[in-house]
Amino acid sequence: MAANDVPLDDKAKRMRDLLSSFYSPDPSMSSSSPKLASLDSINTASFDANQYMNLLVQKSNLEVLLKRHVEMAAEIKNLDTDLQMLVYENYNKFISATDTIKRMKSNIVGMETNMEQLLEKITSVQSRSDGVNTSLFEKREHIEKLHRTRNLLRKVQFIYDLPARLGKCIKSEAYADAVKFYTGAMPIFRTYGDSSFQDCKRASEEAMQTIIRNLQGKLFSDSESIQSRAEAAVLLKQLDFPVDSLKVKLLEKLEQSLADLELKIEKLEPAGEDSSNLYQGGSLVDNHEDSVREFSEAVRAYLVIFPDSKNQLISLSRDLLSRHFEALQQYVHERISSADLVNILKIIWTDVLLLDNVLEEAGLPVVSLEAAQVVVKKYISSKFSIFQQDISDSLVGPKERVEEYTLQVALETGKKTVLQGSMDALLDFRLLLDDKLEPVVNLRDLIIDYVQEGFQGFFRTLYDCFVLLSEKKSASEQGLKEMAQSDKALTGLVLVLSQISVFIEQGAIPRITEEIASSFSGGGARGYEYGPAFVPGEICRRFRSAGDKFINLYIKMRTQRISVILRKRFMTPNWIKHKEPRDVHMFVDLLLRELEAAGSEVKQILPQGIRKHRHSDSNGSTASSRSNPLRDDRLGRSNTSRARSQLLETHLAKLFKQKVEIFTKVEYTQESVVSTIVKLSLKSLQEFVRLQTFNRSGFQQIQLDIQFLRLPLKEISEDEAAVDFLLDEVIVAASERCLDPIPLEPPILDKLIQAKLAKG
Amino acid sequence: MQGASSGIGYGLKYQARCISDVSADTDHTSFLTGTLSLKEENEGLFSHPNEIWDLRSCPFDRRIFSSVSSGESFGAAVWQIPELYGQMHLLPIPTQSATFSGSVIWWPSGKQNKSISIDQEKILLWNLDCSVKIAQVQPQESAGMLHYLSAGAWDPHDVNALALTCESLVQFWDLMTMKKTYSIECAHVHDLEYDTRKKHILVTAEDESGIHIWDLRMPRVPIQELPGHAHWTWTVRRNPQYDGLILVYNLSTPTIIHALFVPKFKEKYT
Repeated sequence: MAANDVPLDDKAKRMRDLLSSFYSPDPSMSSSSPKLASLDSINTASFDANQYMNLLVQKSNLEVLLKRHVEMAAEIKNLDTDLQMLVYENYNKFISATDTIKRMKSNIVGMETNMEQLLEKITSVQSRSDGVNTSLFEKREHIEKLHRTRNLLRKVQFIYDLPARLGKCIKSEAYADAVKFYTGAMPIFRTYGDSSFQDCKRASEEAMQTIIRNLQGKLFSDSESIQSRAEAAVLLKQLDFPVDSLKVKLLEKLEQSLADLELKIEKLEPAGEDSSNLYQGGSLVDNHEDSVREFSEAVRAYLVIFPDSKNQLISLSRDLLSRHFEALQQYVHERISSADLVNILKIIWTDVLLLDNVLEEAGLPVVSLEAAQVVVKKYISSKFSIFQQDISDSLVGPKERVEEYTLQVALETGKKTVLQGSMDALLDFRLLLDDKLEPVVNLRDLIIDYVQEGFQGFFRTLYDCFVLLSEKKSASEQGLKEMAQSDKALTGLVLVLSQISVFIEQGAIPRITEEIASSFSGGGARGYEYGPAFVPGEICRRFRSAGDKFINLYIKMRTQRISVILRKRFMTPNWIKHKEPRDVHMFVDLLLRELEAAGSEVKQILPQGIRKHRHSDSNGSTASSRSNPLRDDRLGRSNTSRARSQLLETHLAKLFKQKVEIFTKVEYTQESVVSTIVKLSLKSLQEFVRLQTFNRSGFQQIQLDIQFLRLPLKEISEDEAAVDFLLDEVIVAASERCLDPIPLEPPILDKLIQAKLAKG
Repeated sequence: MQGASSGIGYGLKYQARCISDVSADTDHTSFLTGTLSLKEENEGLFSHPNEIWDLRSCPFDRRIFSSVSSGESFGAAVWQIPELYGQMHLLPIPTQSATFSGSVIWWPSGKQNKSISIDQEKILLWNLDCSVKIAQVQPQESAGMLHYLSAGAWDPHDVNALALTCESLVQFWDLMTMKKTYSIECAHVHDLEYDTRKKHILVTAEDESGIHIWDLRMPRVPIQELPGHAHWTWTVRRNPQYDGLILVYNLSTPTIIHALFVPKFKEKYT
């Protein structure tokens, strides 16, 4: 048994190991609980047969043991058969595998040859197909070429037909088709035009020329609809026709039409000036408006035709506007009235509105408003400068007829010009203000300011102009004769200027102020801090001082001329060796003539003063009556030794004499001016005498001259007392400067004076 | 002559046409004046023959002065005042001419012992030390035009520049070349003076026009006109100390010398 068992055991164990290693039924199960199953389970790897035997023997009795033995033997038998089955099956599989492998081996050997055959066949197929290909290639090429040629021929046919087709298109005015055809044929013409299709090209080009001409005509013709013109432009563009140059040409045309428009304005102006020709002017206005309408239509059309020409059109329309305003500015420098200005502004404004409808981007209204502002300003200023020119013209008078042009006339016209002119100007400006034209209404405040400023500036420049006129003397340094001539005119002018200054201050300015206050108040565009532009007070002050200045200048000029006469008289002869007086000296005549001239000038212009000094006349006469005996007394003395005491006496007498005012303020009266001249001249005479030394005859000559002067001077001057006083002073000075002051006897004096009077 | 109300007055028996400060006398404030008297002897400390029309004190020697006088004829002379009272000593070779009515002017700042006498038709430059005439100038003017030189002023900034009045002209002479440089036209000028402080400034006193101030760099028009003179202005002097003070003697208010204040003249015209 044991022996039996051992080989069994060895064999079974090996089998079991082999099988378990082969199948590895569940190694984890077998190894997971070796201890637990160690004793009971036989099917574990750690089964100890001895221990199991001992345990079985100890636990069981014989019967059980036997039973167990039978069972076990049965189990073992089962297991053996199972094992045998397994092994057999395994073998079976091995055998079939080796069979398969064997078969495969023999199969594969056969396939390789097949494959080689196949490759061979395939390469032969390829070579065949290549052969076919090459053999067919030429034919295919040929076919293709033929196809191309056919297409070409079709095109050629088309091109040969083109002229005729184009002609047909021209006839039917289907220019769009024509252009399409022609552009299609273009590449061919471009390549073969010079050789094979020369005639054809020429013909179709000719056709195209007509088409282009027609299109151009269409483009330029104003009668065509805008749409068709735009189409024409597009077509021309497609034809590579230089559309830009066309555009330029068209714009140039437009510009030329601008010039036409402008000319029309110029033409219109004289008509506007001439009121009798109003109808004609009106029709001209209509013409102008029509043409501007045309222009704006053209602009609209071009906008559609050449969308990219907008900037040019804007600049063009601005150009038109600026031309308008330039013309207007030129025009403004002439003598026009507000009505004329407004008329033209109106025309321009309608133009602007027309154009604005078409070309909103140009911002024409704004531009024109600005320009209108400038123009109005210029208009006002030019109005004033014309006005000033008028005044100075009226003052200077016509140059040819100086003799006839009396000062009075000059003064009157001057006054009238100043007043009437400023009134007219104001009326005119009011017209401008009252106008309802939009730009003018917008400028209302500005206009008010301009007018006020204008007047202020006008009077300021007028003052400067007066000063300039009065200083003409220094400018004319030509021949002496001419200078004397102009000098003569100048004195009168200065006098007139003085009077006009007074008139402006007292007459014109209040009127103008009133007028401005009534219709030109407001404004305010200047801002309040500057105050009103027109400050009458300042002008009044200016002209008041101007009046004084000119009257003083007049007196100065007059006395200077007398001074020259006196200087010649006293500086030339040698008074110490003077001969006995035989006649009143001729300088007296010159002096009186000068005074007369002054008097006649003054009489024409200045008002006659109230004889203020009438009552001082009595004063004067008493003074002279008081001095007369003194003088007679003194002159009566023939004793030279008494000269010294005589001198003292005269000094004393002077002290007691009423103080005579020689240098008084000049008033604007004939008398005041003339007597101021007389007084200044006599004072100069006295000073000249004081610089000389006389012998007796010289002294007597002076005495005679002065005596002769006494009467006429008193007649001329209003201040007899002063004249008397000054003449006495001359005699006194002469006697002081005389070595032997023995006066002439009164009878002789009388006789000489009578003789002179008889002669004169 | 009357002084101002607060000033000191000295009386003269006869009329006087000239007064001159003795600028060479640094210790005293003194003036020289000469009188006019046709028939009698001149009054005063020193006897001077004939009437004195013009008188200028020498700027470097207080005892020397020049005078222009008229007797039978006009003449200029240079005098030396004696140390004590006594006869005046006449320096030799003055001019004598029937037409002389001009003046004698000294080089204004002293040191230069030169003087110029202005005759009607010529100017003469004198060297005083030796009292020898060193130069004589004959104005070259167009023939037929009567010269009437009357007064002059020596430019204190330029020893060779001289301004002369000639009828209605003010002429400028260069003493180096003895030629007229230029002239300005204004009404009859009685007197003129250079500004001692500012170059190129000249003041003139004229017949009717009053006082004019000229800038000689632009002599066409005066840079300023001082109005307010109704009649001739006879003499004009600038204050040597203060700018803008001008002393004018004018005939519209006789025997009163009045001063004009010209504010900011310097600032305005430089």
